[in-house]
Amino acid sequence: MTESRVPLRSCENISLARVAALPVVFVCAMALSGFAAEPQGQAEANRKEARLDIAPGGSINVINNDGSVTLKSGTGNQVLVAYTLHSNKVEVDQDSTPDKRRIEIRSHALPQQSPNSDEAKVDLEVTVPAGTAITVSTATAPINADGISGDITLSSDTGKITVSGVGRSHLNVRSVAAPVALSQVSLGYVHVTSSGGAVQMTDVTGPKVNVATGSGNITYKGDCSGVGDYLMTTHSGDIDVTLPETASVDLNAHSASGSVQNDFPLQAKKHPVFVPKSGSSFAGTSHSGSSSVELRSFSGKIRVKKQ
Amino acid sequence: MTCQQFQEVLPYIIESGGNEEQEGHLRSCAACSELVRDLRYIAEQAKLLLPMHDPNPRVWNNIEQSLQQEGLLPEGRMSRQGHSLTYPTPTQSKSWTPLGWILALAFITVFAAVLVTYKPHLPAQQATAQNSSTQPAQLGSDDRQVISQMSQQAPQVRRAYEAGLKEADAYISDAEQAVKLDPEDAAAQDQLVEAHEQKEMLYQMATARSLQ
Repeated sequence: MTESRVPLRSCENISLARVAALPVVFVCAMALSGFAAEPQGQAEANRKEARLDIAPGGSINVINNDGSVTLKSGTGNQVLVAYTLHSNKVEVDQDSTPDKRRIEIRSHALPQQSPNSDEAKVDLEVTVPAGTAITVSTATAPINADGISGDITLSSDTGKITVSGVGRSHLNVRSVAAPVALSQVSLGYVHVTSSGGAVQMTDVTGPKVNVATGSGNITYKGDCSGVGDYLMTTHSGDIDVTLPETASVDLNAHSASGSVQNDFPLQAKKHPVFVPKSGSSFAGTSHSGSSSVELRSFSGKIRVKKQ
Repeated sequence: MTCQQFQEVLPYIIESGGNEEQEGHLRSCAACSELVRDLRYIAEQAKLLLPMHDPNPRVWNNIEQSLQQEGLLPEGRMSRQGHSLTYPTPTQSKSWTPLGWILALAFITVFAAVLVTYKPHLPAQQATAQNSSTQPAQLGSDDRQVISQMSQQAPQVRRAYEAGLKEADAYISDAEQAVKLDPEDAAAQDQLVEAHEQKEMLYQMATARSLQ
């Protein structure tokens, strides 16, 4: 009997404890939800939107050092600016010239305020009409551009730069150490310069594609179509190019003190520009060789392979 | 024989010449050969210093006279030093004054210090290779100015610029060497231009950032 009542008493105790704990749990849950809701509410309060008229062929200059910048494609003659401040120590200025040909969007700290790196962040989203020239500059903020067109200049010190779905545009990208990722960029004049950031390209084509890095690696996947000039240069970074068998290229690769490796079927040129040296350079054509592809590195490794 | 083993027995080699193995190393190693040549030169120059500090002959005469008067030196047995202005011969080493001994001691001390602190000169190419491979590149004054302009930026941004400028300098240096080796190399010329463009970009971006 005694043995059978002990667990019963324990169950009773547990049930009583549960019942007694319910209000405590409820209060805690309410408190937690309140705490959780407060930053969200604050974020909502700090989110602002503005619409600015822009003249056809106008330009936009965006400066936002920390946080993020997102560029989207819009229609009409208006620029939609939506932003979220991470603190009340910063603000976003939006200025436009009287003729509406130039708009400047700039985040900055308020006077007498010294926001820390988190407080200084502003998440900025800019929707721009097609064909608008846009320049974006950030320090640590990543830049995402999707589906826009026109003259596009993006520069960042360390924030990743991602561009996709861009056609018939001039794309100029500059990075100190920021990684750069370009995809689905067609018929574009592309110029990427990066000191230490890696550059990754997928299906990037155009009449002029020029990518240069110092120590950053370059990766290219695509067919180099468009009867274009493709030039990829590094100092110590590696260059990896993956081409489909259908690619029509006239390819030259040379690494001064690094190495080269080719797994893509190339035909030897009848009149090579230079005499290929085994292990450090190679040259050849595929199909009619409609696009010129130059790969150069000082001490990096160059690899070309079939997709 | 290694350079270290050779240099451990260097005083003996300087004094009395080395054995066959040591002589062989001396012939094959430019650095040790230059070291021995330098040390022998120092030794020769030190020897020339001694006569310059020898006492005046009148001192010798007075000493001789004093010794003769005290009967310690028979008359007529004059040292040549006392009557000669010529450089001393090896036999005269026995008649060195305390000043001479002090000078000799000073020379030995200097010689020992040279041996301890001597660093053989490396060939120019070897030294350059060492600089580029093991020592971090130093920023020039313009680069340092650019970095100082970035003092208000986040540490990661400053570090990125510093690394970028070092990278650009290394790129320029490599490209310049390639162009020097083959001035007709168009690819090397293009890369030199590209290296300078990289540095230009960093300067432009840093200036724009500091103005903000």
